[in-house]
Amino acid sequence: MSLGSRKKMWTVAFLTAAVMTTASACGGGSGGDGGGSGDKVKIVFSYWGSDARQKLTEQALKKFEEKNPAIDVEGDFSNWDSYYEKLATKVAANDAPDVMSIEIRGLSEYAGRGALADLAGKVPSADLDQQVLSSGQVEGKQYAVPTGVNAFSMLANPSVLEKSKQKLPDDKTWTWDQWIGLAKQISAGGGGAMGAEYNPNPAWLQIFAAQRGEKFYDGNKIGLSVDTIKAWWNISQQLIAAKAAPEPAKSAELLTAGPEQSLLATNAGAMGMWWSNQLNALSKASGQELELLRMPRQKGAPTAGMFLQPAMYYTASAKSEHPAEAAKLIDFLVNDPDAASILLSDRGLPTNSKVLAAVKDKLPPVDQRTLAFIDEIKGELSPITAPPKGALQMEDILKRNTDEVLFGKTTPDAGAQKFLSEANAAIAG
Amino acid sequence: MHESMSDSLSVTAGHRRPPAVNAHKKREALTAYVFLAPWFLGLFVITVGPILASLYLSFTDYSLLEEGSWVGADNYVKMFTQDDRFLTSLKVTTIYVVVSVPLQLAFALLLALALDRGLRGLSFYRSIYYLPSLLGGSVAIAILWRKLFGVDGLFNAVLAVFGIEGPGWVSDPDTALGTLILLHVWTFGAPMVIFLAGLRQIPQSYYEAASVDGASRLRQFRSITLPLLTPIIFFNLVLEVIKSFQSFTQSFIVSGGNGGPVDSTLFYTLYLYLKGFKSYEMGYAAAMAWVLLLIIAGLTGVNFLASKYWVFYGDTK
Repeated sequence: MSLGSRKKMWTVAFLTAAVMTTASACGGGSGGDGGGSGDKVKIVFSYWGSDARQKLTEQALKKFEEKNPAIDVEGDFSNWDSYYEKLATKVAANDAPDVMSIEIRGLSEYAGRGALADLAGKVPSADLDQQVLSSGQVEGKQYAVPTGVNAFSMLANPSVLEKSKQKLPDDKTWTWDQWIGLAKQISAGGGGAMGAEYNPNPAWLQIFAAQRGEKFYDGNKIGLSVDTIKAWWNISQQLIAAKAAPEPAKSAELLTAGPEQSLLATNAGAMGMWWSNQLNALSKASGQELELLRMPRQKGAPTAGMFLQPAMYYTASAKSEHPAEAAKLIDFLVNDPDAASILLSDRGLPTNSKVLAAVKDKLPPVDQRTLAFIDEIKGELSPITAPPKGALQMEDILKRNTDEVLFGKTTPDAGAQKFLSEANAAIAG
Repeated sequence: MHESMSDSLSVTAGHRRPPAVNAHKKREALTAYVFLAPWFLGLFVITVGPILASLYLSFTDYSLLEEGSWVGADNYVKMFTQDDRFLTSLKVTTIYVVVSVPLQLAFALLLALALDRGLRGLSFYRSIYYLPSLLGGSVAIAILWRKLFGVDGLFNAVLAVFGIEGPGWVSDPDTALGTLILLHVWTFGAPMVIFLAGLRQIPQSYYEAASVDGASRLRQFRSITLPLLTPIIFFNLVLEVIKSFQSFTQSFIVSGGNGGPVDSTLFYTLYLYLKGFKSYEMGYAAAMAWVLLLIIAGLTGVNFLASKYWVFYGDTK
C-alpha cells in the first residue's frame, strides 16, 4: 500500500512534468515560428473585415514576404464587432500588433494614449494625397497613413425610381427639401417601395452641419448648434410622418441586419446614404447598377460639406520591437502597385497617384465609377481632420438620442441638449 | 481524496499514532495537494488575482490603453450622482429580475406539477422542456428572438391573421424589454427539473392521509405541496435572482450590442461592458462590477434572512 501510494505520487509528478513540457513545447512552437528559420523577423498586422478582405490581405502579405524574405508577417484578423476589444486588450497586455489598422474615429484614442509611433520620415508619403494624409495627424504628428478614401454619398436605385415613375434628379443643385419631396413621391407612387431610409452614421449630420457653416468637432468640443441638430432631425421626422421612410422600429431592424439587407439593396427603397466603398456590395445585393449622387444641399449653403474620409489607417505600435519592418510593411501596402493590384479598392480607393495610375484599369467597373465620381466632386470637398478622443462612441450617442426623438420619447429641444452634453462628455473624457 | 485529507487533518489534530502510519498519512495528504495544485494554481492566478486587481482598478481611472492613476472613490460617487445611464441600467435590470424571475418560477412549478402526475413518457417531456434552459442564453436563440419579434417577424404574422398589426417588438422601446423577459421565462426548464425532484421527495402517504380526510386537490397543494416545497422554491429563487442579474447575452444580441432602442434593454452587465471596452473606462467598469457584486450579495443576504419567515424545513419543526 505504501509502495502503491509512493508509486502514485511519482506517477502524478511525471504526468505533471509531462503536461508542462508539452504545454511549453506547444507555446514555443507557435511563438517561435520565425525563430526556427534563421534570423527572420516576425511582425504582426491586425485588421478587421469580411472573409473576402481576409483573402485579399493574405495574398498581399504573401507578396510582401516574397519581396522581403527576411520578414515574416502574421495577419491577425477579426470581425469588426470585436476588433477594438481585441486590439485594446492586446495593447493593454503590452502585446500590441506591430502594424494596426485603425479607423479615423479611433485614431485620437490610440494616438493620444501613446500607443502609436510617429511615422513621419519612416514611411515615404510624397505620392499620397497630402490633404487626406494630413487627416492621419494628431497634434502635428503623423501617427497614421490612410489606406484609401471613401465619400459619404447618396445612393439611388434606378429600377425603383423607374417603377414609381420618378427621374434621377440633378444632384448638382438639389436641396434637402427637394430630396424629401422626391422621397415622398416615390413612396406615394404605389410601387410599394420606400423613398428613403435612415443611416445613423454621424457623417450625414457632419455634412448637413457643414452646409450651415458648423463643424461637428470644433477642437475638443462639439461645434453643432441645437438648431442644426433639430433641423436635421426634422428631415427624418418629415420623412417618417409622410411614410417616405420606414418607422423608427423598422429602421432599427434594418440597421442591425446590415447593408445587404437595406431597403436600397433589396430593391425596396429608392435612396439611401452610404460610404462609396459600400457601392460594390450594395450593387451586388440589389443586382442593379446603383447611382452615386452628391448629398443634397441646404439652400444657399456656403459649401457642399462632403469630404473624403480614409476608409481606415495603417498605424505602427509605439512599442514595436521591429519599427523598421513595420514601416516597410506600411510602405508596401500604400506605395507599391503590387499591393494595390491585389487589394484594389477594398480599403478605399488608393490615394497614391502613381499606384492609382498603375491599377486603374484593373479596377472593377463599380470602382471605376466611384473613382470618376470622386474626381468629379473633388473641387467641392471639405478638408477632414481626425476627430478627438471619444469619437468612437459618437455613432452610438447620436443614434440613441435620435431614437429618443424619433420614437417620441423626448422633444427635439431636450434631445438636442442631451445629445450635446453626452457628446461633449464623451470627447472630454 | 477528500477523505484522505480529512483523515490526515484529524491525525495532526492530536491522536498519537505509530510513526510509520503517520508518515504514510502525510504522504497521502501530499498526494492530495499535488492533485489539488492545478486547481489552486487556477484559483489564485485566474480567479483571486484578477478579483483583487479589479478591486484596485476600481479606484483608478485605468483606461485599458494607459496605466491608470488613483482617483479614490470617484468612480463610485460618479456612478450614483452623475451617470444617468448607470441608473437607467440599474432600473432596467431590476425590472427584468423582478418581473421575469417570479414568472419563470411560477411557470416552472406549474409545469412540474403537471408532469408529476404520472404522465407517460415523462423523461421525454422533461428533456423537451429542459431544452430551452440549455439554449436560452445562447447567441443563436437571441438572434432567433430578434427575427421572431421583428416588424415582419413570425409573431406579427400570426397576429396579422387576427387582423392585429403588431409593432416591432424588439425594436420598439416600449416592448423590447418585454421580449427579453419572455425569453427568460421561456428558460423555465432548469428550475422545473429541480421542482420535479422536490415533488418526488414529498411522501405519498401525506396525500393519502389528506384524501382520507377529504381535502381537495387545491387544499392538498396549499397545505402539503407548497410548504414542503419551500426549500426548493427558495433555492431556485436565490439561484435565478443571481443568474438574471448577470444576464448579458440576450440584451447584447437582441439590441445589437448597445442596449437599445433608447436604452430600454440596457442591462447592467451590458453597460459595464460598454464602459470598459467601448468607452475605455475600465476603472469605472471595475467599480461597476464591485457594485454589482455588493447588490447581488445584499439581495442574497436579504433572501436568506427573509427565508426564516416562509421557508419550511421539515426537520426543524
